[in-house]
Amino acid sequence: MATATAQVNYLEAKKGIMSWLFSVDHKRIGLMYLYALITFFLVGVTLGLLMRYELLNPGKDLVEAKTYNQIFTLHGVIMIFLFIIPSIPAVFGNFFLPIMLGTDDVSFPRLNLLSWWVYIIGAIMALSTLVFGDGPADTGWTFYAPYSVKTGTNVTMSVLAAFVLGFSSILTGLNFIVTIHRLRAPGMSFTKMPLFAWALYATSWIQLLATPIIGITLLMIVAERTLGVGLFDPSIGGDPILYQHLFWIYSHPAVYIMALPAFGVISELLPTFSHRTIFGYKAIAYSSLAIAFVGYFIWGHHMFTSGMSGTARFIFSMLTFLVAIPTAIKVFNWVATLYKGSIDVQTPLLYALAFIFQFMIGGFTGLILGALATDIHLHDTYFVVGHFHYVMFGGTGFAFFGALHYWYPKIWGRMYNKLVANIAFVIFFIGFNTLYFPMFISGLMGMPRRYYDYLPEFHIPNIISTVGSWILALGLILMIVNLIVGRFRGRKVTERDPWGGITLEWQTPTPPPVQNFDRLPELPKNGPYDYEHKPQIKD
Amino acid sequence: MAHTGLVLPNSGHNRDAEANKFGMWLFLFTELLLFGGLFIVYMVYRMLNHEAFLLSSFELNVVLGTVNTTVLLVSSMTIAMSVSAIQMGQAKRSALLLWITFALAGVFLVIKYFEWSAKIHHGLFPGMDYYNNLPAGERLFFFLYYVMTGLHALHIIIGMVIIVFAIRQTNNGTLTAEKHSLTENAGLYWHLVDLIWIYLFPLFYLIH
Amino acid sequence: MAQSHDQHQDNHHDGQHHAVPYSEHVRTLVALLFLTAITVVVSVFGAALSTLSVFTALFIATVKVVVVAYYFMHLKYEKKIYSGLVLLVGVLFVALSVLTALEYLNR
Ligand code: HEM
Repeated sequence: MATATAQVNYLEAKKGIMSWLFSVDHKRIGLMYLYALITFFLVGVTLGLLMRYELLNPGKDLVEAKTYNQIFTLHGVIMIFLFIIPSIPAVFGNFFLPIMLGTDDVSFPRLNLLSWWVYIIGAIMALSTLVFGDGPADTGWTFYAPYSVKTGTNVTMSVLAAFVLGFSSILTGLNFIVTIHRLRAPGMSFTKMPLFAWALYATSWIQLLATPIIGITLLMIVAERTLGVGLFDPSIGGDPILYQHLFWIYSHPAVYIMALPAFGVISELLPTFSHRTIFGYKAIAYSSLAIAFVGYFIWGHHMFTSGMSGTARFIFSMLTFLVAIPTAIKVFNWVATLYKGSIDVQTPLLYALAFIFQFMIGGFTGLILGALATDIHLHDTYFVVGHFHYVMFGGTGFAFFGALHYWYPKIWGRMYNKLVANIAFVIFFIGFNTLYFPMFISGLMGMPRRYYDYLPEFHIPNIISTVGSWILALGLILMIVNLIVGRFRGRKVTERDPWGGITLEWQTPTPPPVQNFDRLPELPKNGPYDYEHKPQIKD
Repeated sequence: MAHTGLVLPNSGHNRDAEANKFGMWLFLFTELLLFGGLFIVYMVYRMLNHEAFLLSSFELNVVLGTVNTTVLLVSSMTIAMSVSAIQMGQAKRSALLLWITFALAGVFLVIKYFEWSAKIHHGLFPGMDYYNNLPAGERLFFFLYYVMTGLHALHIIIGMVIIVFAIRQTNNGTLTAEKHSLTENAGLYWHLVDLIWIYLFPLFYLIH
Repeated sequence: MAQSHDQHQDNHHDGQHHAVPYSEHVRTLVALLFLTAITVVVSVFGAALSTLSVFTALFIATVKVVVVAYYFMHLKYEKKIYSGLVLLVGVLFVALSVLTALEYLNR
């Protein structure tokens, strides 16, 4: 290939660890996020497996009640703030957003590097509670007052870590919004942007406009712990429900920070592997914005049993049902995209299909929880635990791994072993559903969440769950080993477009050069998924 | 293909004054919502402790508050003028106006310092005896007063640091009529600080 | 300034144009000081109308904020999208507050 010699790819452009740690290249920053994220994810998974082991039998198996409380809190904090919130935007958004827009970097490359560093500092702070102070917080990842103000564990550090991580999230969001506004390729209007970029755009606005509220709220917890003025403590005049309001004013929109990028990934995978244009481009694009907007006003559905006023409960429940509409629009469009496509079953597509299946289960159980009457029974039971794992892990987590398998050849210029990848997927998928589906049952039976012990009548679903967690771990290990082996020994990929994708990242050399493009990117005539006028790029 | 690769017209490494400004506005939005969270807390506790909030607000000095409001408004004008000056290529004048803004910011902080220390002198600070014996509503009022004006003062200090950078770069010729994002962004930031004070002032000093 | 109009169309211009005349800044300041005077007077002398004064005070504050944003922060000269976004953020915050207030008012 003529161009391969003329252009140095980003992996080989510079050598040495410093050239990574202080790189302003969005591709390298994306990869640094990937390595950090996967590490923290594995820590979180280990904690999850520990919890499942403890819950294998009623009574104490492994850890004391307090240790168990600390484990699920740390598990929650790691999975939410270190893994799932940054996940897709920070890794694949960083790596591919500029390329998909046909530019060579984000608008503020140095700010981008700063976000990564801030993220790492926050992560170190969160994990430092394991070693320093009085042990990790035992409040749950929600840090509800007044317990979070009174407990002796190291809440202050965990809360400050979440604050710092929020900063990183804001900076990434800011960078993406400006990039999308300023750096689109000539001729690429907003409505000719890939749907992944649309999803990131909506996400970034939430990151920007919701995160500050949690920042200030968490600082109030710290102030309360040090000064004790009674801000959220009812015994001295404060209102603990106000804390819950402020917390969920951020944290509910935050679930859309987790979900929207995943929707974006799925909207890329489906057209590529069914080789046809996406069905309902505009509906998918605008529904992202609609979800982002409506998502702000439904935080109260986390508080139906907290003692909120009846009117508010009613309003929040209604608004919650509203947000299901744009989400359903997306699902229908995805399914319609598959219809009569020429489907090429590859590992990423399997993840995408699993996403649709699991996200729907997560979504429907969400409606059950959003209905006032049923929530009274199900609140704080394992039903909720099942629900949010289906949404966050079965949804976004699967989309993340699907994206990893999809863009893998572009990122590293090698291909993993597809057979092993498919086997790993099947094990992972079976493990996932075996682990979490029984939680709906034990939840319906009334098993409360956040306890290290349970009554004997819940024994069977818990055994199934724990066995599921082992299957899932097996699939995960197989997947990761396969990916690591592929990175070093996999078949070399030199063609630009191994999957037959159409967005601009498939027009660049593999792996991309430092400048991203070796020629001006060509846009398809009628929008980003116009397979009929797909530009033919010859090497 | 040239060895260096092609340079895209829409490169992220181009200088883009519009992007700098847009980025600054986005940052201001996050600041607004940061204070927004505190305003919501204020609103709720005011609704729950109506009388106590009224009573406590009488403790604050309206004269000093008004003076400080005026100081900030004037400083907002001087920094806006400084932006105009650099756009017209009058670097010297721009730097001078920045200095004036800086000085006014200093005046604001000094007045704030006296207000705070008068209160603290009376034991009116979280953790002190007098404060601890107040009824809950009044404690909350003063807590919010310290947190919100304190956070605001912190922003003033950050603004002053940015202004100093802008002055240095104006004097050494980095900022010019064609290229002055820093002055503009310092201005935007400073106006934000002013905006927040515009709400803080009536909410704490004037709710009689 | 006169040429500012067509420059708004251009997406990639440098964003450096109209220097706002000093006189406009001075007029803006005078208006702001006047509004400040009104709030103080209303509050100090209208103490009997307690709740009314909160709403007047917030209303006047909002007018001041609009003035600062429109003149000092150049929204007057910026592309429409800036004003639009500012409005959006404002509406968002007000909506969040109203929803929260509704909850407490109905307890
Ligand atoms: C092997 C994988 C995982 C296992 C075995 C696992 C297991 C568990 C269990 C058993 C609980 C419930 C603790 C309790 O209520 O007593 C829990 C809570 C939780 N998990 Fe996972 N989980 C896994 C992966 C994930 C992932 C990928 C995410 C997020 C993306 C996640 C997020 C959470 C959150 C937020 C909580 C709530 C913590 C709290 O109550 O404060 N988990 N997990």
